[in-house]
Amino acid sequence: MKLELRGITKRFGALVANNNISLTVESGEIHALLGENGAGKSTLMNVLYGLYIAEEGDILLDDVVQKFAGPGDAMNAGIGMVHQHFMLVPVFTVAENVVLGHEQTTFGGRLDLSAARAKVREISDRFGFDIDPDALIEELPVGVQQRVEIIKALSQDAKVLVFDEPTAVLTPQETDELMIIMRQLAESGTSIVFITHKLREVRAVADRITVIRLGTVVGDASPTATNAELASLMVGRAVELTVHKNAPELRGPALTVKNLSVIDSRNQSVVNNVSFDVQAGEVLAIAGVQGNGQTELTEALLGLQHHVTGSIELDGKPLRGYSVRHILDSGVGFVPEDRTEDGLIADFSIAENLMLDRSSGAPFVKAGNLQLGFRAKFAAEKIAEFDIRSQGSEMEAGRLSGGNQQKVVLARELSRELRLFVAAQPTRGLDVGSIEFVHTRIIETRDSGIPVIVVSTELDEVVALADRIAVMYRGEIVGIVPGNTPRATLGLMMAGEHAPATESGL
Amino acid sequence: MVYVHAISLGCILEVLLTISTRKTVIAGLAMFGTAAMLAACAQAPAATDDTNSAAASDFLPCMVSDAGGFDDQSFNQLGFEGLNEAAGELGVTPITVESAAETDYQSNVQNLVDQGCSLIITVGFDLAAATVESALANPEVNYALIDNAADLDDDHKVDAPNIKPLLFDTAPAGFMAGYAAAGYSETGVVGTYGGRQIAPVTIFMDGFADGVVYYNEKNDTAVKTIGWDVASQTGSFTGGFAAGVDSFAKAQALIDQNADVLLPVGGPIFLSAIEAIKSSGKDIAMVGVDADLFETNPANSSLFLTSILKDIKLAVSTVVAASGSGTFDATAYLGTLDNEGVGIAPFHDFESKVPATVIEDIDAIKAGIIDGSITVESPASPKQ
Amino acid sequence: MSATTTTAPAGRDSRKDGSERWTQTLRDITGGSAMISVLAVLFALVVGAILIAFTNERVQETAGYFFSRPTDLLRAVWDAVAGAYSALFQGSIYNFRATNFLTAIRPMTETLTFATPLIAAGLGVGLAFRVGMFNIGGRGQMLIAAGAAGWVAFAVELPAGIHLIVAILAGLLGGAIWGGIVGLLKARTGAHEVIVTIMLNFVALYLIQFLLRTPGALQAPGSNNPKTPAMAATAVFPDLFGPRYNLHAGFLTVVAATIFVWWLLSRSNLGFQFRAVGQNPSAARVAGINVKNVYLYAMAISGALVGLAGINQVLGTVTTGFGSGIDAGIGFDAITVALLGRSKPWGIFAAGILFGAFKAGGFAMQAAEGVPIDIVVVVQALIVLFIAAPPLVRAMFHLPTPGTSRKPTIRAVKTRQTNEVVAK
Repeated sequence: MKLELRGITKRFGALVANNNISLTVESGEIHALLGENGAGKSTLMNVLYGLYIAEEGDILLDDVVQKFAGPGDAMNAGIGMVHQHFMLVPVFTVAENVVLGHEQTTFGGRLDLSAARAKVREISDRFGFDIDPDALIEELPVGVQQRVEIIKALSQDAKVLVFDEPTAVLTPQETDELMIIMRQLAESGTSIVFITHKLREVRAVADRITVIRLGTVVGDASPTATNAELASLMVGRAVELTVHKNAPELRGPALTVKNLSVIDSRNQSVVNNVSFDVQAGEVLAIAGVQGNGQTELTEALLGLQHHVTGSIELDGKPLRGYSVRHILDSGVGFVPEDRTEDGLIADFSIAENLMLDRSSGAPFVKAGNLQLGFRAKFAAEKIAEFDIRSQGSEMEAGRLSGGNQQKVVLARELSRELRLFVAAQPTRGLDVGSIEFVHTRIIETRDSGIPVIVVSTELDEVVALADRIAVMYRGEIVGIVPGNTPRATLGLMMAGEHAPATESGL
Repeated sequence: MVYVHAISLGCILEVLLTISTRKTVIAGLAMFGTAAMLAACAQAPAATDDTNSAAASDFLPCMVSDAGGFDDQSFNQLGFEGLNEAAGELGVTPITVESAAETDYQSNVQNLVDQGCSLIITVGFDLAAATVESALANPEVNYALIDNAADLDDDHKVDAPNIKPLLFDTAPAGFMAGYAAAGYSETGVVGTYGGRQIAPVTIFMDGFADGVVYYNEKNDTAVKTIGWDVASQTGSFTGGFAAGVDSFAKAQALIDQNADVLLPVGGPIFLSAIEAIKSSGKDIAMVGVDADLFETNPANSSLFLTSILKDIKLAVSTVVAASGSGTFDATAYLGTLDNEGVGIAPFHDFESKVPATVIEDIDAIKAGIIDGSITVESPASPKQ
Repeated sequence: MSATTTTAPAGRDSRKDGSERWTQTLRDITGGSAMISVLAVLFALVVGAILIAFTNERVQETAGYFFSRPTDLLRAVWDAVAGAYSALFQGSIYNFRATNFLTAIRPMTETLTFATPLIAAGLGVGLAFRVGMFNIGGRGQMLIAAGAAGWVAFAVELPAGIHLIVAILAGLLGGAIWGGIVGLLKARTGAHEVIVTIMLNFVALYLIQFLLRTPGALQAPGSNNPKTPAMAATAVFPDLFGPRYNLHAGFLTVVAATIFVWWLLSRSNLGFQFRAVGQNPSAARVAGINVKNVYLYAMAISGALVGLAGINQVLGTVTTGFGSGIDAGIGFDAITVALLGRSKPWGIFAAGILFGAFKAGGFAMQAAEGVPIDIVVVVQALIVLFIAAPPLVRAMFHLPTPGTSRKPTIRAVKTRQTNEVVAK
């Protein structure tokens, strides 16, 4: 089925999220929609899926104009969506999830699952998925859950499939498998819209590429374009994708972690007997697919996890079992992975956020009173130093862009006297300009002799920053390898395979 | 008549036209509007002559309720009825205000003074402090306080010369009802429970329980009163004066302990007792309080063995009438068996079910109490 | 509904769980603009006027013959509404009919007298709001504080002045403990404060009722009624303007409390931590703030402030002894006051005075015009309704939705910045 979008314009108040976007996806074609976060890709797909009504423009399927009042209409017309966050019920089986919303019932309102099971088997046989229709979703690996989403869309006879950032949660190997599935689907005549901001994947699988920036189409490209060409289209200028850094100046071990284990609130072991050390003046990157224990590991370092065993020592002093306050006071700087949830208070001003983790003593507090004068001066300095684009230090942090919010967090954490710096997903969701800024500050921090831990699920970032790389898989460190380890090896390690020759340090 | 009909028809047409021209009006609203407008088609009354309606009196009786409000099926309501009855006869319109909480009393009384009331009736012991304070500050206004002696300093004298306490010695009436209940009971268990544990409530329960004891002494029986213990002054209370699950549960508990006569004391809580009796399916009789519930609650009249009467209505209308004719006096009114301020109601449907000897005994008891040969006292009895 | 009410796109908030949404809703309700508060009050008064007209007998009567003489109905409506609201005004601010100035301003002092406990309790509830907690336990905290302060006031003998201070401190401590239990349970066991506060209301009520029936505890000696003796003269708030007016020095304590809460929230580091936990508990925790202690301290201070309302009731308003109804529903009215005051100290102060005026004027309205006192309660309830449903008020007055006015500025900032980066 051929999909055509003509002159789609979608506004939210004064903001134009999509400005006169036109796009054609031929039958059996994989069409990549490339753009930075916030470029308007998701808005466009929500228009296509009937979630938003566009102010202007038409949606055509096989040259017939469509009117979608909701996702139901879009589904009936043959459009299916594989969401970034899976829309599956974890305690239901595969078959139950596939029929959810289109249940067929027998006499007396009993659910007829046999048809659903047959459908699941038929589709998985066609694509070689090997999925048990009676397996519970919560027991399936993430990659398989995504296939259930695909089956669900296909079972509604979707002729156009939209993949919204499908690889964000996948290992490199799972990503490769998904690419193969997308190819198969396209060959069987399904049209595919592939939304992503990852250049490598686009070049690997797309037939055609449309690049969106600030709500408008800025150009088409063929898969043969280079990364640099695509990136400059995305951000509107030439971008340096590598970070310039010198060899690390090692100044001896600073942080030593031994046999660390974490048990979470559901009584699951999420970090399992992990040991590593970080030297002053180096960046240790912790790589791995999201959800393999990195989050809990950093939280354990900060004292945010409750059931932690093993030992954590910073400069010879134990940290485990102490309060967050004590650990921060010991000189640990922390950039949490969920900036808006854990790093900032959206309704607080920039100035207030800058003193957030120093609310109990000098210099921001004297005798229980806030030192507002000092705070304002401090905020003005940091806004200038970290180039925080704002309307002043009293502006609410929630009204800043993601990049500027992250600069506030960095400014706060780096303005204390640090003995260890932990940055979790420091560039997630940021534009390329901000990524450069954050990376530069991280390397500067390293060069000033502070041990740095960077946790990232982005292989590009890991490779760009790391002096050494620890790869986590299912709560364990599979291996610690040098920063120049080939991507292929890292990919295999992220899938749980041990490094060919694991070494424990430099 | 024809003329009137023509007007009505024109009026209806007009209404319909108005509606049809306003298409935006929602159907439901239009229906409502039609009904209201049709109702509005009545004839205007002739302009009234104002000169003959004004009463030639400056007398203005007023009343403040306690937090129960005037619809409490208890003393607020009875007092309210008494006030309206007497005011109607005098041809004056009283001012009545309800209190929502105990912090309102002072303001309500003060506002009535500001409105120029000449007699302010305050209902319930809760208002005693506010009444005394206002009475001392406004000696030209008269006050009547129901169910309290207005004796805050406990010196056995009314604290202000312009307050008339309206008190009721209901213990002897309760005594008679208790005797009757014991005589009627087949299971040998009678039960009672109250709203809040306050003197005007427990006085009923004291008299009732003592009456049962008296029956046992005279007839050598062992009828038991449950829900109230006179000696220790402890018993079963719902905690408030509202019908509801609390009251239902208390009644249910008494029924479960085999009681076949119930005395719920405290405004509308008896309504839940009726529900409990009906749901138990047992043959259980009730004793009402304040008014003759056989008369005031005809739907359930077959349940009432008798009622302990406390004629607040009469007391209030008497004081209003006296005050209106310029003969207010501040001596306390005490309702007794003798002056028929308290008493028990006829047995009505139960006339045949209560043993004749018991009925005779009750008449004798009444005479005995009046002539002083039998004394009925309760810790809650009004002090004189 | 007009286009202005279109809600902002949900964006990627779909993963928010229930508790987050609850906190967000609480934040939206308490954080709306002051304009909404003013309009909510105005609109509630309009609806109140309609109800007054509907319940007026003369209006009902004249409506019967509206078509043959419509002026009668209109005049009756005008008389009813104007009479009621003028009585409300004269009962709460200035009585024109009074013979001299000193009597004429008496209603204003009445308003302040009734506002006193409302402000105190409103500050307590508002403080809890700012920490992200819903303190519905005002009744229990007031009763315990009243019991503690009252007992000291009638049972202990101390010199004048010191006696009053000790009684106040006892009451504050009582309220703080009763509120602190809630904070402790929430911090240690995760028990939801709404459930705990409601349950503690019952515990306090029956505890006080029990003590009121127990000779030697709170019951007046020699009395059979569940009521305390009168407070000793040494422990009673002195009248501010002499015995002619009911206004007592308790009003000064709530002015002090308002200043204290203002200082606490906007100038102290404890208040900074309170607000941080209220806005985003997880960020506060990551920033090293001890969230559990904050819950405990906040609920204890909240309880003490609500307790101050109970103290004012027994040492100022009803000094002749009190029963278990002494809270007079103020613990619940305080929620309205805190919402109307947007949980800001001076906003609560103003809202408390407004509600005090409603209360004082309500008595006059009932006495002078026979308007049921329930109308005032309905108006207060409508105010809450309109505040809790800001989109409704916005739609009625065609105000812009915050989502549409704010979103573009965010994007505008972002756009501008990106452009600058590009230009660099």
